[in-house]
Amino acid sequence: MKSTAEILARIDQLTQNTSRSLAQLSSRRSFIGKIGSVLVGASLLPLLPVARAATGEARGVNELGDDQSCEYWRYCALGGTLCTCCGGSVNQCPPGAEPSPISWVGTCRNPVDGKDYLISYNDCCGKAVCACCFCHNAERDLPVYSPAKANDILWCFGTESQAYHCTVAVVMGEA
Amino acid sequence: MNGFMFRNLRQIRAHMAGLALLTATFLPTEGLALEPEQIGVKTLPNPTETWLMARDGLGTLYIFDSATGDMHGLLGISQFTPAVQPNLQANEFYAAESYYSRNTRGERTDVLTIYDMPTLNPKAEIKIPNKIAALPFRRYIALLDDQRFLAIFNLTPAQSVSVVDLQNQSFVTELSTPGCALTIPTVDRAFLQLCGDGKIQLIRLGTDGNEQARVRSRAFFDIPKDPVFDKTARTAEGWLLLSYEGQVFDVSVEDEKIDISDAWQLLDDDQRAENWRPGGGQFFTYHEGLDLLFVLMNNVGGYSHDHAGNEVWVYDRSAKRLVSRLPLPQKGTNVFVSRNDDALLTVTGTDRQLHVYDVKTMKLVRTIGEVGVSPGYLQGVTH
Repeated sequence: MKSTAEILARIDQLTQNTSRSLAQLSSRRSFIGKIGSVLVGASLLPLLPVARAATGEARGVNELGDDQSCEYWRYCALGGTLCTCCGGSVNQCPPGAEPSPISWVGTCRNPVDGKDYLISYNDCCGKAVCACCFCHNAERDLPVYSPAKANDILWCFGTESQAYHCTVAVVMGEA
Repeated sequence: MNGFMFRNLRQIRAHMAGLALLTATFLPTEGLALEPEQIGVKTLPNPTETWLMARDGLGTLYIFDSATGDMHGLLGISQFTPAVQPNLQANEFYAAESYYSRNTRGERTDVLTIYDMPTLNPKAEIKIPNKIAALPFRRYIALLDDQRFLAIFNLTPAQSVSVVDLQNQSFVTELSTPGCALTIPTVDRAFLQLCGDGKIQLIRLGTDGNEQARVRSRAFFDIPKDPVFDKTARTAEGWLLLSYEGQVFDVSVEDEKIDISDAWQLLDDDQRAENWRPGGGQFFTYHEGLDLLFVLMNNVGGYSHDHAGNEVWVYDRSAKRLVSRLPLPQKGTNVFVSRNDDALLTVTGTDRQLHVYDVKTMKLVRTIGEVGVSPGYLQGVTH
């Protein structure tokens, strides 16, 4: 079964292809008119999870999908609970939690542009564990003897308290 | 007051009188033999090999007998404690713990707590560096074979080991172990570590608990290609290690020499192509007497080593071959096999229950529910 991110990426790809075909086949004015019809139609569709991204804090990349799902592209190596389910976002800790300055890193492919990105997984610390949306993703995850790439570690290092709350997935750049 | 009410009142009085007589008849009175019950506290019976401890999330350890399904007690430990080290000779449990003065905030204090086994109460605390590695890994704490020194793995994320002297109840030293993790006990007051260069490190302590020798094995695994897991199973000769792709290594120590066997394979080409891989929490366990290795397997493929398993695969270790596959009605995250002849295999299910199988028949014999809120990691009490 395909993940939500994959399905949305496919829709995105189809939309791009259709747009390019329309643009190639039509004059600029009629192309805009046809796109307008598509956009009106789109407004009748149920709001996709990407709407959450549009209203959140700044993100460095174009992306689609449900960031409260373990299948969301940024979470490919995330073992822990999602801060998006706990009052935070993909890159912001929930209120009162302290982000760990030290993290483990993963490399995830963004289905929107097909590029690999370096993701920093920072634990948010100092509060009781938020037992929501627990994920077991472990792409390229290594055992504890290679800590920089190990997610089976409580990464609340360098914080006031090592109490684990949840984890964010911050895009650091292209891999 | 009307006649109806009068009649009712009379009836009520008559009933009350009867009730009082009945009550008086059955209440204990002076001179009768029945003694009032006394409240007390039970002590833990002697543990057997079918006993296990199930961790509820990151907190409490529930002590059950997998042979009966009965709970025998509970060990309250810190949420940062990795695993508990039993010592049957001393009738004690040892737990490396982290505490904050204000629950999840405030001043941090790390201690090695000595718990009395019969009462499950703490009886001593030894202050250790505020560095213990959290999360339930069995090989983050090791009682060495002299029964005196305890090695505790630290992660800050710099890697080191704290040594505790149980005889003097004192912290001895912190050994820096860059690039190497775990404390896997081995012969002659020593422990092994897995290292990021694909080797095993042996550290031997002197009679005072300080480091006496440190050596490394040959490189035997390729980390980017197929790393070995940071989990182990004990054998008569040493330890079993498994890799992501299903290689199995035997490790043993003689003097300063670390022997690592050639690998044998859990998976053939067809099974690998079907995406079967080992995975879970503590996802493999070994029965020495039966020489059987039990491994949780999932068919997710790739980096699925944190996924719950759909099946338990049973291997004859000497023959190096698969002898049985047990499909699980509920996916499993952790496994533990008792060491007795009538061995029982316990699997933590994703349904938050413990499922106990008779190893000889591979049939489910009981399910233990309500093991805290979310049971995960399992470990033995006697081994």
